[in-house]
Amino acid sequence: MSKKTDVLHVGIDLGTSRSSISASNGGRHVVESYVGWPVDMVARRLVKKPILFGREALDNRPMLDLRRPLERGLIKEGSERDELAVRELLRHLISLAGGRDGQPIRAVVGVPAEALRVSRQNLRSAVKGVADALMIVSEPFAVSYGMDALLHTMIVDIGAGTTDFCVMRGRYPTEEDQRTLTNAGDSVDEQLMTLVRAKHPDAQFSIYMVRDWKEKWSFVGEPPGPVVVTVQKAARATPIDITGEMRRACESLVAPITETMADLLARVEPEYQERVRHNIILAGGGSQVPGLAAAMERVLADYGGGAVRVVEDPVFAGSNGSLAIALDASEGDWESLAG
Amino acid sequence: MPPSDPLKHQLLRQAVRENVDTIRGLPPPPFRVGAQLRRGVIQAALLVALPTLGLLAYNPLSGSGPDRMTGVATRPVVLSLPVPKALEPMMASLGVRKLVLDPGHGGNDSGARAKGIWEKEITLGIARELRSLLKRAKYDVAMTRDSDGYVSLRRRAQLANQERGDLFVSIHVNSVPSKECHAVETYYLGPADDPRAEQLAGKENHESGYHLADFRRLLEGVYAHVRQAESRKLAQVVQHELVEILGDTNPAIRDKGVRSAPFLVLVATESPGILAEVSCLSNDEEAERLADTAYRRRIARALFNGIHAYAEARNRVATLGQAKGSQ
Repeated sequence: MSKKTDVLHVGIDLGTSRSSISASNGGRHVVESYVGWPVDMVARRLVKKPILFGREALDNRPMLDLRRPLERGLIKEGSERDELAVRELLRHLISLAGGRDGQPIRAVVGVPAEALRVSRQNLRSAVKGVADALMIVSEPFAVSYGMDALLHTMIVDIGAGTTDFCVMRGRYPTEEDQRTLTNAGDSVDEQLMTLVRAKHPDAQFSIYMVRDWKEKWSFVGEPPGPVVVTVQKAARATPIDITGEMRRACESLVAPITETMADLLARVEPEYQERVRHNIILAGGGSQVPGLAAAMERVLADYGGGAVRVVEDPVFAGSNGSLAIALDASEGDWESLAG
Repeated sequence: MPPSDPLKHQLLRQAVRENVDTIRGLPPPPFRVGAQLRRGVIQAALLVALPTLGLLAYNPLSGSGPDRMTGVATRPVVLSLPVPKALEPMMASLGVRKLVLDPGHGGNDSGARAKGIWEKEITLGIARELRSLLKRAKYDVAMTRDSDGYVSLRRRAQLANQERGDLFVSIHVNSVPSKECHAVETYYLGPADDPRAEQLAGKENHESGYHLADFRRLLEGVYAHVRQAESRKLAQVVQHELVEILGDTNPAIRDKGVRSAPFLVLVATESPGILAEVSCLSNDEEAERLADTAYRRRIARALFNGIHAYAEARNRVATLGQAKGSQ
């Protein structure tokens, strides 16, 4: 039996867009969820690595077989390359955590709720072997555990591929307590791309550029200022104003999210609905869109009022929660989860 | 150190248990109960999680709506307003009385072949066995074919719709390049979520009898959400039974789970439906098993158990709904 202090415990948030790790040795790291292999010998010589991760992979994408393995919040079943990408990404994160040589590693991995629901066995086999013992939990559960928000709370985790909803009712969340929408970061990117393309048909830009624009200038409600980006038009760098398009694309999240919240709320025992309504926690990268929480509260006013708060640290809220689970699990638990 | 908060402690226990069960290959909790309890649990689950009705509206910005036919196979489903609303049970008080069984392939379209047997023979044998089990349990049963004749997918769907079946069950046997395949999987209608499902749907959609002009109209049915939700539930129960019953004598069997894919025969039928790939003919051991009538009977029994469990739960919901409606 290993002493708990000899073991490196890690909590991992395996996200569609970004993955983060929080370790018991204090390490905190985040990586964009891209994994790339050089497409041929030439590419391999150029990038000088057998495999690249995160931003480095993205920046070298023309030379790589680039994977974003949790696209749409699911591991693509049947795609061995994507399963391998998940494994490699986890190994990379764990290596960043910097455990000592031979130090046993126990990991709790938070994944999008949909991934856990749809491909539980597949997910388990994909991540097998990356740690000495491993537990997989849904991301909203990890967030709520880390925040001690396990009762009469709703977690809305707006990721890239999916928005996961989970009502915490003092029990381990079941399918009935959870919802998943694909209205999330990626759908905002696609809408923004479509809108900008419609307004500027001669402009050249890629989805990666659109993603960057959204990361920098997303907003809901009144614009904090004009959003001007640079695109290529006939090989000439040209600034264009996309303020209106950005607003429309970002605001497309509000209605489906609030209506799904209402749908889940309606399933809570009536005496607790008001408490849940006033205890909504917004997590994930999408929670950082300025004005989104306020817009949701405005909609909730029609339901009798509500309060939406944003997690303080959206990048590490999930991995910190997973780490809390890892540290709370007993020796016996970990022994049963080994292998 | 276990958490001092009893609630945290309890939730942690449940999370660990769920992971341990997954390691042991057990399905998720709703289906992981004793035989006597299983039916009740499925009924309860259906009562609680009745189909959420509402259409997945076409979103002109996302371009993922039904009039973008390429989007069905390759793009994510982008849900847009209106978000599905929960219904009262009585609004969905539809029981299950009649089934349409669809043995895959037939006639010139023989399907896969191994060890001297054709897929078309296997699927027909299983469908006939299933029919007799269902009839014994007092269901009405119709078949899209009851002999070795070619029936196009279009015709199969027409027959199913004419028969006004409450459920549609299409039976197929997988065949993949890997000789190691022991997969059992059950599909319901929806966009393919991986390239392999897409490829399989393409293969099974071959010689459909549809023209390109029909395709667009057909795909409008892909997102009929109620049918999809019910189909998924049926697929889950059937898949569980297939894995459990076949796994008793065939430990190599691999649970590939419940998947969605745009099989044309499911798109065009109007009732909830599934397509079960009950075995893998390209694997020599599986082929030998499939040549054995007793093993086919076992497959039919597994399909029956799944269908019957689903139907009983559904009929219970219907009865409750009617009772509530008459109050």
